[in-house]
Amino acid sequence: MNESSENRRREFESEALPHLDALFGLALRLTGGDEPRSEDLVQDSVLKAWRSWDRFEVGTNCRAWLMTILRNTFINQYRRDRSRPAQVEFEEIAEGPGAGTLYDADPEGRVFDRLVNEHVIRAIEELPDEFRVPVVLADIEGLGYQEVADTLGIPVGTVKSRLFRGRKRLQKRLYMFAEEMGYLP
Amino acid sequence: MTDETRGGAGTREAAPEELSCEESLALVYEYLDGELPADWNDAVRRHVEKCRLCYPYFDFERMFLDYVHEAGERAARTNPQLERRIRDLIAGEQGD
Repeated sequence: MNESSENRRREFESEALPHLDALFGLALRLTGGDEPRSEDLVQDSVLKAWRSWDRFEVGTNCRAWLMTILRNTFINQYRRDRSRPAQVEFEEIAEGPGAGTLYDADPEGRVFDRLVNEHVIRAIEELPDEFRVPVVLADIEGLGYQEVADTLGIPVGTVKSRLFRGRKRLQKRLYMFAEEMGYLP
Repeated sequence: MTDETRGGAGTREAAPEELSCEESLALVYEYLDGELPADWNDAVRRHVEKCRLCYPYFDFERMFLDYVHEAGERAARTNPQLERRIRDLIAGEQGD
């Protein structure tokens, strides 16, 4: 093994491997908390990054680059599996003030200071794929509607509708956690 | 929510001067996500700023989205074996 390939490996490891926890976090959100699948996703993504390391410009945002690789790797798998039937019924969901929602119980949102991160993470991970993936891409990764639509190969109107329903489901679940914990006023 | 909602479709008519509460509430996420065209964005803002029903609701939804973003961004702890496995695989590929 020559010195330059050894330096290349050291450089990759020092730049990329500190982001493993962040990558694993994103993988867990995307897979709905499936740890073995998330580990595989992180491993595949880091190996892809290693094979493309020559194309990465050192000094630019390595974390963002790795997250994009992981996201794309997940989306490729997700789109391959998309031929399976949808898991959920698209039920009517209560919305707006006066609809018996978390907002009605706690309009000042005090519950957001009291619930711990694990609650929202669990609530996200419990969402069916159809809602979870757009919510993770838009609300955690910060993608715009058009980017989510392009990434998932669905119309922008469907992205809006899934985000709406996904967010309302999250609020419903948080309402249940808050009620269980006695956090509601 | 449907795409047929006024102001909710991809091709929008020009925003009206005044929006009703119902119309504003239907656009809450597009407004908070910064996805509305400027005229619709301004129309929603004008309504919400002076509406005692909509203002607290929009504020609540903004808090909710911030909460999800911050909590969801937190990293998880990886299994140390995963890092070792990745280091081994990289070293293996380097040796090929």
